[in-house]
Formats: sequence, structure tokens, C-alpha cells
Amino acid sequence: MGTATATDPYRKVQDVAGFADVPLKEKQRLVDQVVADPRFEEYLYGCYECGICVAACPSARFYDFSPRRVAQAAARRDVELMYQQMQEDIWECSQCFSCLRCPRGNNPGGIITVMREVAVNNGLASAREALEGYSRIIYKIMSTGTQVSPDMLQPDAFPDWGPEVADVSEHLELWRRALPPETHHTTKTGWAVAEKTLIELYLIWLETGALDMINQVDEGLHMILEEVMEERLEEEGIEV
Amino acid sequence: MSNQSVVVIGGGPAGLRAATTVAELGERVTLIEQRSFLGGTPIAENYASLTPHLHSAEESIGAIVTRLQGLPGVEILTETEVQSLQGEAGDFTVSVSGPGGNRDIAAGAIVVATGFQHFDPGRETQMYGYYEYPDVVALQDLEAMIKDGNIVRPSNGETPKRICFIQCVGSRDRQIGNEYCSKVCCGVASKEAIEVREAIPDSEVFIFYIDMRMYGYWESQIYWPAQEKHHVQYVKGIVTEILRKEDKLLVRGEDTTMGRPMEVMMDMVVLSVGMEPSAGTRKIAGVLGINQNKYGFIDVANPPLDTVSTSRDGIFAAGAALGPADLEDCSSSGGMAAARAVALMRRAVAAG
Repeated sequence: MGTATATDPYRKVQDVAGFADVPLKEKQRLVDQVVADPRFEEYLYGCYECGICVAACPSARFYDFSPRRVAQAAARRDVELMYQQMQEDIWECSQCFSCLRCPRGNNPGGIITVMREVAVNNGLASAREALEGYSRIIYKIMSTGTQVSPDMLQPDAFPDWGPEVADVSEHLELWRRALPPETHHTTKTGWAVAEKTLIELYLIWLETGALDMINQVDEGLHMILEEVMEERLEEEGIEV
Repeated sequence: MSNQSVVVIGGGPAGLRAATTVAELGERVTLIEQRSFLGGTPIAENYASLTPHLHSAEESIGAIVTRLQGLPGVEILTETEVQSLQGEAGDFTVSVSGPGGNRDIAAGAIVVATGFQHFDPGRETQMYGYYEYPDVVALQDLEAMIKDGNIVRPSNGETPKRICFIQCVGSRDRQIGNEYCSKVCCGVASKEAIEVREAIPDSEVFIFYIDMRMYGYWESQIYWPAQEKHHVQYVKGIVTEILRKEDKLLVRGEDTTMGRPMEVMMDMVVLSVGMEPSAGTRKIAGVLGINQNKYGFIDVANPPLDTVSTSRDGIFAAGAALGPADLEDCSSSGGMAAARAVALMRRAVAAG
């Protein structure tokens, strides 16, 4: 349930996980996108409601989360519940796919993958919130083609890593050069990325709509990434 | 061929299989049926197709009747009832009355295949209003509509768009006294649900259940296709009452696995009524002097591996007279009872 606020003291506007309610027609549109996904058919056959997926699910032990309820809601095409889950439950899944042990061959985690994509593609508030903390990492991956880079390492970030972390951080370039593969002699990226690879990645992210997805959840980040990519592609003489 | 017959009482699936088997084993058989036609409850109650294969009931059962009629030593007496029994195993005299008057039949052994009848939903302890609301029907009522190719709401003749089945009506209920599972209703309801979805593609069909009992191959033959291919919605939770709301039916229950109360509107509700011993089964037990169990079905004397012996030597029982049974059970026990009856009769003849 939503939280009472000054403008909405009786929680009439908010209803789902604190996010504003939308008309049923809009919920139906989102659910239709989930069901129309070509993967959906083989992710969901029929549900015994036996709960084996819940028993196998690590998230279910820590959150009020149930892959069974996700599968059931989808099997019943329960529009209200599926919308609620898209604003809440689906972000509590760790996408470990332990639920694949379903005797009917269902894939609740896969249904959640599809629901997440629909949530992101449509800029649902929950998607923005869930991905908020990841903009630095998304920026790193999409602009450089590698993940967390060595220079993101803070000397005091992980005390349990021991006292060497401070020393490594201070002499990062030296430590990196001590690694045998030459492609790892980098500090601003996780590893060396060839120019050609980067160009290909940019094109893939543009063509597949991954960049558009970013636009739905973080416009600022999208603007920066678009600039970086366009400039690089223009240098290569590629029209976007 | 001995001079005596095996008398088979009841011309439904079990009796037809029993009579056919006796004749195939080369002995005389007299099939006694109180109705004017053969085929038993599936035919009398207008079943369109049989579970689980969805073959036509009339064609499937008609094929056994044709086979039986073509065998030597077969006598079929319709509109005939057993009045009394004298003698003992190997040397019975069965007195019957029919259109041709009374007569006595010399019988070496007897097979009772007098079957079941559908539970009368007027007796249920919930509040379903079978006799009150026209759009509350039972499995066999919908079956007749399917057979006619005309599935409509009895109240107004319109095509129903939201239909639900309520399982275990008259079964598994201490209040009613029928503590047993009727075995076939999960399959029959799922079969009818498939047929409704095929006939009315824009319909929504729900099945409210305690637990689905789709044993053996019925799982993949009926249950999975109903859910996966025909999108029949199975909801674990039994309806407590049905209320009329304008021209719809409000169905109240609990959606147990979702953990929430449930109140939904339906155009038509189908009660999945269970099996009770037929009037004929109750009556014949008295006439033949064989034991019934507490539910009124014929008691099996020597369970579990002897499935057809009754409390009286020389009298065997088969099919749904013994308790809830699907068609495969009926056919199997029909054949078994026939084999046991023929064996007993031959032993009696050999003993002189």
C-alpha cells in the first residue's frame, strides 16, 4: 500500500507499492505486452500451484515474494495483480532461475524477465526506482563496453578485503601492470576494449533498443550515453 | 456350451463387456436390462463423448452392442427386471418379468452390473440452488447441451461467456454421507470444459476444486490440455454459495492459493455431481441377497485383489455397482466378472 502524504492523505491516488494508480486500460496494455512476448508461451504452460518454485526460491525466504504467485497471476491473466507485481514483486527476484525445477516446465523467473523488460520499456516508476542505483554501472558498461573498472575501487569501500586494498588503490596502475594478460593493464576500464568492438557494441545497443530502454528509466544518463556514442560513430563515418 | 446361462443384470458399459466376454468364451449369456435400450447411464444421460479420449459415446458403446448382438448364444432382454432368485452357485433360477410376461432362467452364475446414478444436487449441503436457478446445471445437463451442439443459458437461451464448474458436489462430504471420491468428475468436468472452450472460443471457463484427481494418463490426456491448450482456469477453493445478481450468478468462495476471498459473476454454473448407487443397484442387492457397503454400493467380499466377488457364492459384480468407477474400470471389472462366472459355471458342470 502507498504511504499517506500531504497531497494524498487517504492514499487514494497511490495504490500499488506507493506508486500512482493508472487506469485499467493502461494495465491491460502492459499485460498484453507481456503475454505477446514470443518467450511467454514457453515460459508458462499451466500451474499446479504446488509451490515447488517458492520452496526453491532464495528471495522468497527474505521477501514477501512468491514466484508461484507470479506464475498464477500470469496464467489467470489477472491484470490488476500482474500490474501490481510489475510495480513491486518482480524486482525482488534475483533471476537465479532456481524456479526452473517446476514439474510443468514453467519458468517463473523467465516470466519475470519479460515483465521487467515491459516495465523498463514503459518507464514504470518501479523500474526507475529499481535501476536508480545502477546508473554509474550502466554508464560504465554502455560507454566503455566493460563492467566495474579498477578506478572505481575506493580504498575504504570494503574493510573486510583487508589492508592491501588501500595500497592497491594508491598504486593502481602498477598493480594492474603486474597482471599477466596485457589486456588487463587498464585502470579506467575492466579490460582493454578494441575500437572495433566498442563500435559494434554501440550499434547493437542502438539497434536492439537497449538505449531506448535507458531513456525510459534515466533521461540524463541516456543523454550522456547518446552523445558519447554518436560522437564515436560519427568519427567512424557511421550514420545513426 | 453348457445348458445354463450366465445371467448379466444391467446393460451399461460393465454389463455389455461382461455379456460379450461370456459369449466370447463360448457360453450362453442372458443380458437383462430394465430400460428399453442398452448402453446404461452414458446413453440414458445423453453423454456426448467419453472421458478421456472424447470419442462419441453412442459410437463407442454402439460398437460393443453390435459386437454382442452378433455373437452366438446371446439373449438380450430389455424392459425386463429380476423378480427373485432361487438355488445356489452353479444352479440358480432367476425369475424375471418383462414385456413377454414372467419367466425363469437357469443360471450357472450371475453378474450384477446395475451401475450408478448421478448425485442429486438438491441434496447438497452448500447453497447452490440447482432447483432454484435455471443457470445452475449439473454435468449431465451440460453434456446433453454439448451433444445437441447448443450450449446456452437455460434462463434466456443466450450463449454463456463465463462458466464455472464446482467439483465434489455430493462427494467427499461427511455431512452428506458420501465420504468417497467419485473418481471421474475431475476428468468429466475437464473434458466438458475443453468442449465448451472449443464451442465458445470467447468464453472463460473456471473449475473450482478441492484437489484435482486426474490419475494416470488423464493428467496429460485431459488436465494439461485443458489448462495449457484451452486455457481453462483451475482455482483451488470450493464455492460455498451461489446468489442471483440480476441475470447473473454470483459465486462465492475462497481463492485459497492466492489467499483471498473470491466473489465472481458467472453466466452458468455446472455442478460436478458425483456417483451414488443407482436405484437398480440398491434394489437388486435385496433381491439377490448380497451385501451392500455403507454407501449402498455392492460390497466386495474379498478385497483388494479379488475385485468382483460378492458376499454370495456364484454372484459377481462389476462396474459402478461396486462404487465409483470410470469406463476403463467398468470394462475391466466387467470382463473379470464374466471370466469368473464362466469358470465357476464350468466347475459346477464338471462336478455334475
